[in-house]
Amino acid sequence: MIDIKNLVHRYTIWESDTKKSKKTVLDDVTLDISPGQLVAILGPNGSGKSTLAKHLNVLLLPDEGTVWIDGKDTKDAKALWDIRSTVGMVFQNPDNQIVGTSVEEDVAFGPENKNLPSTLIQEKVADSLRAVGLLHKRKSSPFRLSGGQKQRVAIAGALAGTPRCIVLDEPTAMLDPAARKEVIHVIHKLNKEAGITIVLITHHTDEVVGADKIILMNQGHIIQEGTPKEVFDNFELLKKVKMDVPQVTELAWNLARQGIPIKTPVLTEEQFVTEMMRIYEDGKNREDC
Amino acid sequence: MIRDITIGQYYAQDSSIHKLDSRTKLMGVLIYIVALFLVKNPWWYLLLFVVILALYRLAKVPYGYLLRGLKGIVILLIFTFVFRLISTPGIPVAQLWIFTITGEGITKAISLTVRIALMIIGASLLSYTSTPRELADGLEKAFGFLEKIHVPIHDMAVIVMIAFRFIPILIEETNVLMDAQASRGVEFEKCSVWKKCRNIFSLLLPLFLSAVRRSSDLAMAMEARGYSGEGETSRMYPLRYHSGDRIAYVLMFLFLAGVIVMRVVNIY
Repeated sequence: MIDIKNLVHRYTIWESDTKKSKKTVLDDVTLDISPGQLVAILGPNGSGKSTLAKHLNVLLLPDEGTVWIDGKDTKDAKALWDIRSTVGMVFQNPDNQIVGTSVEEDVAFGPENKNLPSTLIQEKVADSLRAVGLLHKRKSSPFRLSGGQKQRVAIAGALAGTPRCIVLDEPTAMLDPAARKEVIHVIHKLNKEAGITIVLITHHTDEVVGADKIILMNQGHIIQEGTPKEVFDNFELLKKVKMDVPQVTELAWNLARQGIPIKTPVLTEEQFVTEMMRIYEDGKNREDC
Repeated sequence: MIRDITIGQYYAQDSSIHKLDSRTKLMGVLIYIVALFLVKNPWWYLLLFVVILALYRLAKVPYGYLLRGLKGIVILLIFTFVFRLISTPGIPVAQLWIFTITGEGITKAISLTVRIALMIIGASLLSYTSTPRELADGLEKAFGFLEKIHVPIHDMAVIVMIAFRFIPILIEETNVLMDAQASRGVEFEKCSVWKKCRNIFSLLLPLFLSAVRRSSDLAMAMEARGYSGEGETSRMYPLRYHSGDRIAYVLMFLFLAGVIVMRVVNIY
């Protein structure tokens, strides 16, 4: 689906009025994402994860290396609109990406740009809104929606372009915890039910525990790649790049360090409870002997 | 004051007026305004007022909204009234200091004020009953012929639509900025007009900067969703005339014809 080879990206920064220099934000990034996966890109601020996201939708072009989306090179100008309809994009600030003055108008923006017939647009809009659970709000003004709902509208807007992959660039950064759950739930649903490849960029570690693969980035490099279990097992590396770890994971890790026979990494509260129950039962059995 | 802006405030209702094509409604407003200027005898304004009341009723928009649109121009209305009152020559009826109020002045003042007020009320009905998108589409189609002489009507329609979309966001942002600055001791309410103006300037800079940042974000989001600014685009709900529009056009032109006849024949 997405294939990145030795991607380098540099920004020009003005050090003073006359002197400019290049700052490398992505340095030799190689990455492969297969169809249907839910991949989380995790990293602190300034790690280059948003820049990477923009490469996936051809909003930026590589300085070195190549990005292939579905076998199409992003440098190929002819493939531009093809790639953009393969990869949908959701940004951080919901207010700054909603174009329409009503929910359905906004969702229709993508298909309208593709010059599709009206009946087909109406169908797509209804389907997309149903998928994010906002069909009953179709006539509302986006201004009257909550943050979570606005972000779901933005997801529906990307969805209406019938993409096979959606890249979400920190979609939850401006939301409260309840709204974050709401958005993450929708993302997982789209991945499971519609089989859409998801690239979720975030700095909240608790949002990535359900991912198929986690890519940990720091200062323009991929420093680790693997399943949530593998990544969270390397607790010290996460701490080193100043990422917060889910509370239960940290608790379990500290308990393990104290000599309690808990199996790390623990990713969810349920898992923690079962682990603790197991240890408790084991202890009781040993006492009985 | 900023909170009273009614432009682009759509009042969602299921009514025969809402269902009309926005081009029909645009034409309706135009005819209504022409009629307002054709009328000579102030009593006729009463009839035009009743007409607009009936239309609000038909659109199921509460009468409270009638006055909301006027709130923003209340100063303009007062100025118009006062200046017309004291600056029209004629038979004096009262003397206030150096100002002379004439009989003609009273009639003129009333009719001009009422004319402006009715114009706003009529135009407000248009924005209550059509979404900004419908309006933008209507304008685009109505002025589409100008594309032939390279006037970028389509771009303008997109700009209008985005402007409408960002009005509430920028208003909200202004309120936040005002609160933030007021909390640091800037006086917005109780101070001289001169000071108020200066304080407004301290709002403009951050507001402008954030608008620029927002537009750069929005541009990227639009591009990601396939907006290129050129090429054909379609509409989810294309504008189409229905039987209701035909009836409305007939009624509108009958109304206009009636007003013209009245004007020509000069009967009161």
